[in-house]
Amino acid sequence: MTLMWIPLLPLLGAVIAALTAHWGRTRCAWATAALPALALALILSLIPQLSETGSIKSTISWIPALGLNLSFRFDGLALLFSVLILGIGLLVILYARYYLSEKDSMGRFYAYLMLFMTAMLGIVLSGNLLQLWLFWELTSISSYLLISFWWHKPEARRGARLALTVTGAGGLALLAGILLLGRIAASFDLDVILQSGDLIREHRWYPAALLLILAGVFTKSAQFPFHSWLPHAMAAPTPVSAYLHSATMVKAGIFLLARLYPALAGTELWFIVVSSTGLITLLVGAYFANLKHDLKGLLAYSTISHLGLITLLFGLGTKLAAVAAVFHIINHATFKASLFMAAGIIDHECGSRDMRRINGLWKYMPYTAALAMIAASAMAGVPLLNGFLSKEMFFAETLEQEFLGSLSWMIPVLATLAGVFSVAYSVRFIHDVFFNGEPINLPKTPHEPPRYMKVPVEILVGLCLLVGILPNIVVGPLLNIASSAVLGGELPDYSLAIWHGFNLPLLMSLVAMAGGLFVYFHRAHLFRFQKQFPEWNASESFEMAMRRVQDAAGKLLDWLENGSLQRYLLLMLMLLILMLWPALTELTHLTGKRAHLPVDIPSLVAGGLLVVAGLGTVIYNRQRLIALLMLSVVGLVVSLAFARFSAPDLALTQLAVEVVTIILLMLALFFLPQKTPKESSPRRILRDICIAGLIGGIIGTICYALMTRELHSISDFFLANSKTGGGGTNVVNVILVDFRGFDTLGEITVLGIAALGIYNLLAGLRLFMPSGDSEGRQWALDRHPMILAVISQSLLPLALLVSVFIFLRGHNLPGGGFIAGLVTAVALILQYMAHGVDWMKTRLDIAYHRMIACGVLISALTGVASWLFQRPFLTSWFDHFHWPLVGEFELASAMVFDLGVYITVVGATLLILANLGQMTTSERPVTKEQD
Amino acid sequence: MPFWIELIVSLFLLVGGVFVLLGSVGLARLPDFYTRLHAPTKATTLGVGCLLIGSMVLSTWSSGSLSIYEVLITIFLLITAPVSAHMLAKSGLHHRLEHAKQTGHPELIEEPLHKE
Repeated sequence: MTLMWIPLLPLLGAVIAALTAHWGRTRCAWATAALPALALALILSLIPQLSETGSIKSTISWIPALGLNLSFRFDGLALLFSVLILGIGLLVILYARYYLSEKDSMGRFYAYLMLFMTAMLGIVLSGNLLQLWLFWELTSISSYLLISFWWHKPEARRGARLALTVTGAGGLALLAGILLLGRIAASFDLDVILQSGDLIREHRWYPAALLLILAGVFTKSAQFPFHSWLPHAMAAPTPVSAYLHSATMVKAGIFLLARLYPALAGTELWFIVVSSTGLITLLVGAYFANLKHDLKGLLAYSTISHLGLITLLFGLGTKLAAVAAVFHIINHATFKASLFMAAGIIDHECGSRDMRRINGLWKYMPYTAALAMIAASAMAGVPLLNGFLSKEMFFAETLEQEFLGSLSWMIPVLATLAGVFSVAYSVRFIHDVFFNGEPINLPKTPHEPPRYMKVPVEILVGLCLLVGILPNIVVGPLLNIASSAVLGGELPDYSLAIWHGFNLPLLMSLVAMAGGLFVYFHRAHLFRFQKQFPEWNASESFEMAMRRVQDAAGKLLDWLENGSLQRYLLLMLMLLILMLWPALTELTHLTGKRAHLPVDIPSLVAGGLLVVAGLGTVIYNRQRLIALLMLSVVGLVVSLAFARFSAPDLALTQLAVEVVTIILLMLALFFLPQKTPKESSPRRILRDICIAGLIGGIIGTICYALMTRELHSISDFFLANSKTGGGGTNVVNVILVDFRGFDTLGEITVLGIAALGIYNLLAGLRLFMPSGDSEGRQWALDRHPMILAVISQSLLPLALLVSVFIFLRGHNLPGGGFIAGLVTAVALILQYMAHGVDWMKTRLDIAYHRMIACGVLISALTGVASWLFQRPFLTSWFDHFHWPLVGEFELASAMVFDLGVYITVVGATLLILANLGQMTTSERPVTKEQD
Repeated sequence: MPFWIELIVSLFLLVGGVFVLLGSVGLARLPDFYTRLHAPTKATTLGVGCLLIGSMVLSTWSSGSLSIYEVLITIFLLITAPVSAHMLAKSGLHHRLEHAKQTGHPELIEEPLHKE
């Protein structure tokens, strides 16, 4: 259980950060830091247990059948990463306290940062690949929020969008890869997958799974050619860059590479793809880092280059290379975080990051300069610093390679070349910024930053030195445990000594140093050479591409969704024809084996009426009232048909719905002209007749084919279990409130949402109100005729009595909450019509929105109540009671559920009808702004 | 079922049917809107009323206890049919529908006195 708290604590920290924002900046920072610090302490307390068992696991099953469990797994690799995430995270919190200005919202920043921390911890601690993926996407989203923290800057918004798009797209590829991997290993559990490495590598889906997963890894870790998002993410505040690009975001890809190393690595495909991508990224990043004049741009490309180096090491496939990769992860995180922080200090104190303008800062901030210079030396791989050690290991590994056959000598040469560039940009960071003359035209006079802003840099630089001088003591155990987790337990022999004697790797380092200095002092040539290429801005190209996509989508949408209901109907019906046509042509026998029912005169008459009314609706469609009357005939015949074929519930519902619908349409008709002009051209009429005829024919065929065949449905089950299981003899009602109660709950929720939607549509509407009919006659002055008003008022109790009766008997006889609700609604609507809105307002002042909410809530709570009795959601209960006078009767929890249905239906129907009716009055709904 | 019950039920059904038929014929044949209005209201009140009494007798006999649903339906019909006829007549007057000579009562037509 301790494990789950580790990602959970920073999540709580996000809430705390948002809540304590008004306490002041320092207190907010302390409050925010408390929970990650606690999480770090938890991690450290788990170390003894970890060194005994190798890995710790805790699982809560959620949907075991789908392999979905909330599962956390803690091993050496997770330890390394959690320490980096939490440790550097804490330093970043401290640093950001002084970096952010008064204007920036501290609470928002810390909340995003904590959210991001949670996501990262979730990735490294996940014991289930799907869960890992979820956190993976969460890092994309939270990093989007962080990068666009200064959302008023267009480049921040663009950079954030680019990062989200690239990493999000990679995340989708990763999901596909994970799903394939899960199918191969028959589990998403990390332990299972790590143990079935051989099975995975030999599977025929292996190449697809590997490439998809690598697509996710490479986009996240900014590997060539997906690296372009990283430099644009530099628009973020520097603490964010320091965090995202040293220990976290971009390392997530590397982490996954290390995590799945035992399962995926070791094949030729892995080797070729991973190592070549790493090598190209290493070179490209190092080269472009030299061309940047922006301090953070330099660091961004150097990050890309170092990530390439780590990827290359994993790609090489030897055990020592994997150890070197893990070691470099640690080293890169420490020196890159401190460098970003130093760059942030410089930016903060100078007001610029342009290296052509900031020179000679040694005089103004010697202390910061010293720290930054040590960190930059570590990046260059100067001896006695941590970067030197892992770079030596890297050089040594490149020498061991033989995979290019006779061309294998190229790998160490290219690695040295990358080393040259890397030294060159490190020297530039040191010499160009801190020496090289005087500052040029800076907006501020630089000076040392606040004391505590330097503390995180000091700690990190101190670590660089300690690791560099005493590697075995400081980092040895952590490296051991993390590397053995990557390699699946077997560690190769390696030594972390500073001095290995005069050997080739040392020579390569020396060459890199000398070459780097040479390149730096002749950098003008490099700039001149690069000037010949056209400038290319990834962010701008991305925006152009996005705009094109949006335009195309807009055009498609305009074509599809032009606001014409006829058009939508046409498209849907055409689709229906397309989908049904092939299936129906394959059906050889139209008539099934079932015997026909005898034809009787009432059915024939009803059928004829249906046809005539249907045709009448179409023919008189331009005279709306007549069309509406025809339509109501259709509805009534349908409800008669239900009654005829023993579906009294349906008949009742159909009748009630029909009444409500006709009232609704009548109200709507008031705002429409009574006659419509002729709109359709003859050609269009012909087309519509063809399509309608075709659809009618198809539906008729389906109905006929279906009804002449024996239908084996599950209704027998309901008939058998309705009384014993649901306690009611009305099977339809028992299905609605018990067997399929969850469906009903969903349906009434949808009904409520639809009603609220209609209310909102009406709220903004200003309609033309005709003062008379089409022939110029004014409306009658007698708006509320007395006879109607009095009689309808006296009818109300009777109508309510009927609806209560229908409601109560619903469980055993035709009826139920839905029908009763409609009856009540119709009775109330009659009052609205007879007396007017003002009269009703004084007597029935109910907010129908609340009524809907109450109804849904009652139904849902009835379902929840079964949890109290340790039963699944919506289990119903019933029993029989004897009451004097009334006699034997039944009580069922389904009745409370049905009450919720009843209230929702009344609320929704009245919300729609009453508000549509109110459109003509002063009580019409208005939007908030207009209040 | 004893013969006398069958007889009573059939009698009510027949009478009710005749009223409904007459109502329909009247609706088709009477000269103007106002007279036509009378026919279906008679059909619903008297015709359907008879049918309901028939139904009541039948279900009382078959269930063994007094069936009162039909009473309720009859009450509803008796209350609502005149009101709807009244409303129809009112709107007919408002629309100044053509009427036969003997039904003309121009003084009933509501004159728009002022504009609202």
